[in-house]
Amino acid sequence: MRQSIWKFNTRTVVTIGIGAALYGATSWIGIPLIADTQLRPAIALLAIFGALFGPVVAFLAGIIGHIISDFVQGGIVWWGWALGSGITAAFMGLIFLSKGFNPQEGQVSRKHLLLFTVYGLVGIVVSLTFSGLFDIYVMNEPNDKILAQVALASAANILVFLVLGLPAVWAFAKRNRENTNLSVDR
Amino acid sequence: MQPVISFQNYTFRYKSQSEPTLRNINLDIQSGEKIWIAGPSGSGKSTLAHCINGLIPFSYGGESSGILYVGGKEAAKLSIFELSRHVGTILQDQDAQFVGLSVGEDVAFQMENEQVPHSQMKQDVYASLTQVGMEEFESQGPQDLSGGQKQSVSLAGILSTEADILLFDEPLANLDPASGARAMKLIDHIHQSTGKTIIIIEHRVEDVLQQPIDRIIVMSEGEIVRDQTPDQLLAEGALSKYGLRQPLHLQAMKYAGITMGGMKGLSDPEGNVHPSIGEELNAWAAGIPFDPPHVEGERLLELDHLTFGYDKSRPVIKDVSLTLSRGETVALLGNNGAGKSTLSGLITGIYKPDRGEIRYRGESIASWSIRKRGAAIGYVMQNPNHMITQHLIRDEVSIGLRARGITGDEMTAKTDEALRTCGLYPYRNWPVSALSYGQKKRLSIASILVLKPEIMILDEPTAGQDYKHYKEFMDFIHQLAGQGMAFIFITHDMHLALEYASRAVVLSGGEIIAANHVANVLSNPVVTKKAHLREVSLSRFAKAQQLQAPERFVQAFVDYEKRGMQA
Amino acid sequence: MSKGGGIYVAGDSWVHRLDGAVKLILWLIWTVVVFMFLDLRLFAVMIAIGVALLWSARIPLRKMAFLFWFLIFFTFTNAIFILLITPTFGTTLTGTNTPLIPLGYNTINKETLFYVLTLSAKYITLLPLTLVFILTTHPSRFAASLNKVGVPYKIAYAVSIAFRYIPDLTQEFKHILNSLSARGLGITKEDGTIAQRMKNLTLVVVPLLQSSLHHIDAVSNAMDLRGFGAHPKRTWYMGMKMSSVDKTVLLFILLLLALAIYLKVSVLKGFWYPL
Ligand SMILES: Nc1ncnc2c1ncn2[C@@H]1O[C@H](COP(=O)(O)OP(=O)(O)OP(=O)(O)O)[C@@H](O)[C@H]1O
Ligand SMILES: Nc1ncnc2c1ncn2[C@@H]1O[C@H](COP(=O)(O)OP(=O)(O)OP(=O)(O)O)[C@@H](O)[C@H]1O
Ligand SMILES: [Mg+2]
Ligand SMILES: [Mg+2]
Repeated sequence: MRQSIWKFNTRTVVTIGIGAALYGATSWIGIPLIADTQLRPAIALLAIFGALFGPVVAFLAGIIGHIISDFVQGGIVWWGWALGSGITAAFMGLIFLSKGFNPQEGQVSRKHLLLFTVYGLVGIVVSLTFSGLFDIYVMNEPNDKILAQVALASAANILVFLVLGLPAVWAFAKRNRENTNLSVDR
Repeated sequence: MQPVISFQNYTFRYKSQSEPTLRNINLDIQSGEKIWIAGPSGSGKSTLAHCINGLIPFSYGGESSGILYVGGKEAAKLSIFELSRHVGTILQDQDAQFVGLSVGEDVAFQMENEQVPHSQMKQDVYASLTQVGMEEFESQGPQDLSGGQKQSVSLAGILSTEADILLFDEPLANLDPASGARAMKLIDHIHQSTGKTIIIIEHRVEDVLQQPIDRIIVMSEGEIVRDQTPDQLLAEGALSKYGLRQPLHLQAMKYAGITMGGMKGLSDPEGNVHPSIGEELNAWAAGIPFDPPHVEGERLLELDHLTFGYDKSRPVIKDVSLTLSRGETVALLGNNGAGKSTLSGLITGIYKPDRGEIRYRGESIASWSIRKRGAAIGYVMQNPNHMITQHLIRDEVSIGLRARGITGDEMTAKTDEALRTCGLYPYRNWPVSALSYGQKKRLSIASILVLKPEIMILDEPTAGQDYKHYKEFMDFIHQLAGQGMAFIFITHDMHLALEYASRAVVLSGGEIIAANHVANVLSNPVVTKKAHLREVSLSRFAKAQQLQAPERFVQAFVDYEKRGMQA
Repeated sequence: MSKGGGIYVAGDSWVHRLDGAVKLILWLIWTVVVFMFLDLRLFAVMIAIGVALLWSARIPLRKMAFLFWFLIFFTFTNAIFILLITPTFGTTLTGTNTPLIPLGYNTINKETLFYVLTLSAKYITLLPLTLVFILTTHPSRFAASLNKVGVPYKIAYAVSIAFRYIPDLTQEFKHILNSLSARGLGITKEDGTIAQRMKNLTLVVVPLLQSSLHHIDAVSNAMDLRGFGAHPKRTWYMGMKMSSVDKTVLLFILLLLALAIYLKVSVLKGFWYPL
């Protein structure tokens, strides 16, 4: 059942909520790189949610999850990076709109994977550039420092996306291919 | 009169399945009836319920034929919202059922959606909560409630709606006996006072039968195989034909050769008192030889004055000492929230005790990691979803073997054996997601059983299981105990404890309040009351029949069945 | 942190009683105002107001200490980092250069030091109002408040669900990790090589995802069965009526916003550097 990505039924609402909870609950896990920049495995979740549920759901889940995790951990909300999480997720979710792409039914081709990789890489770079610009223009952070942070964070996120996110979506699709026509084999 | 629910030649197949799950269902339910749907795990009970509340076809896709009427209208033509006004459902999964952040919000959820004004909502919520005795918990979150309390909240939630059909999918799973009895009473009270139609799906035969039921529907392999009044069905002994357990007192009467045809009130162990029955039972029990008690072996595990609290100021485990020897099977009993799962977590290293020591073969294991403990002590968690990591069933069972370096034919042989023991061999190539809850639970047992640890802890192994299946793996466990493995199992099923445990340890409020032979513990009214346990129905039956030695009678029953198993 | 997942601290001060929607607006506008400026004087005034508000909410200090220290730690490392990477950045803002601390490859100047101080103050200014909002607003009221300020109720409810399931999912994550360790598939040192441990960690992802997908199914079923989304609007059990205090505060907020815009446009245009 594929419907418009703008249609909000109960399942959409719950998916956003649980996606946000999952991202929020795991995004504190990470390996610190430099000041306030981490390698966060949670990025892979954005890829998975994007691929399974599309850009709108993933965007909202990313943003809400990030804000909640900021609330619980640090006290203040890093709007630039929260929006960034949402943008990354939305880009990764573009693959959902491709014709014939349906990991729930096991339909993912190599071409899809390639496209997904492109969306993911572009998404990561675009969103982090956005977060950087936000910090420079709104928070008045120095350009060079932000450049260093953005470059490192991009590298980290791309690594997580390629090593964890991409294979996870592929594996998910592969296992769902085996889910049909079950019969008892005594 | 027109029935409120009417299935006519109804067949349904899930889209991922090649065979229909429901076949040719014909069933009429009249307004105000109280129905119990029984049947082995995987027989299609929940599927039937989903057809009534609209989740099929709204949420689960598939193909159906035949017609289903709900409230006089064709269900296929109603939206799930229209159906939800007719049918109130309490789902099998309590944590999913509780959607609000607090008790009050959860009870109000449906009213919020129906745009009931704020002031009226407050009133109605309090009224419903008062009916289930939960008004003090209005602002508590789901994390602060025990399983039984969550159940009461769900009840309050459907009380405040206008639904005239109430559907309960395994309302008692995970409840301690006293809470289970209270829940059944509450359901009966709602039935009496509102005249709503009630449909209950449940595995715990004796608990359901504590309150009057109009009709029992038995399902097997997707078909309705029985549709009778309780007395008819019980007298015939039909339950055992379908892998369910006949109430124990009736089983005993059958063993003693008493014919039940035409008897009334069979479902109540304390009804039907008749001197002639008593004599026959006495004679039968006297003829069963006494099994020698268990001899104690070498000590495997010692808990020495353990104390633990999730926050230090409020201990959940208080000064607990316990030993477990080779070949022993200990039943860990106690009310919801007594600390049973927490104690298991301490033994397996998930939590660290604040005080006290745990010794394995005399050596302190305080410094052992979860992994190292896991090699000696297997733990089957309460919720199977917490343990299952693999996609395919056989991989799930073999992954632990592989991690221990066992591969090839040896791995395959061991995996197949464990799958057979747990009745999952026919499904070995299925994805885990296609299993019912009870089947998943058995899978998690198989995945630990295959590792053959020296000690195994099973947290509620029989919750949501039917008799035939759990008897299979419990008998296997019994055999393993004979070979020297030691078991601790946590259960709310008193008879299970009686049958399989050499000893019972009762936990209440984090303290051990009794440790003794099972029959002994269960006949102590102070202990049973405090830990929300219940005397087994067989013992109550024996007392009501004024048998000479009720305890001896219960023991005779257990021994008789064990011997049957070995034969 | 309470078991409820949020970090709400129960109380009965006037701040607690304030409508959640009003606090939400206050927090958002405060944030926007902080974003507009880079002026230590203004931040000092705002911090003072914020602390006064926090004080009048009577939240025990130890509840805030953790968050406070966390932010201090953050701003401190951030400041050091800026000083090390861009020791003369302040010059681009003021046009002057007063060398102060030699670093070898470069020299930190006075302008940058003052800039870092202002920047840290900017971050710290955000804290008190965020704390006022999250510590005195019950998570249950978040959703109702969001809906009240115009966010569609379905999105608002998604926020509520996120709060509801964070504790559950955290628990589940731990359970899965533990049960894997016990079967010899853990992620600690003794569980094998780094590669093996990483692989075991990915084993956690699968069941966690699986159980989240399962939760999505189960929860949306439960909600559908109870009529969620049947109507274009819904009411809120935890919703509140605006009191006169709420309205007054709202008026104040709007006045402050107007004042801030005026200041930005005509008085405190850029970086304030008095030295
Ligand atoms: N969503 C689904 N997709 C495919 N098959 C399913 C689905 N749900 C259930 N089944 C299959 O339908 C059969 C009946 O399942 P159902 O949940 O109705 O059993 P049940 O009688 O309620 O069992 P239990 O007592 O264990 O809850 C099972 O064999 C299961 O494999
Ligand atoms: N992770 C946790 N954090 C805080 N408190 C907890 C946690 N887990 C359990 N508790 C509390 O500890 C007590 C004992 O819980 P436990 O799960 O051990 O009970 P149980 O005997 O297994 O109950 P049940 O029969 O319902 O499974 C309860 O009061 C519970 O609320
Ligand atoms: Mg079921
Ligand atoms: Mg438990």
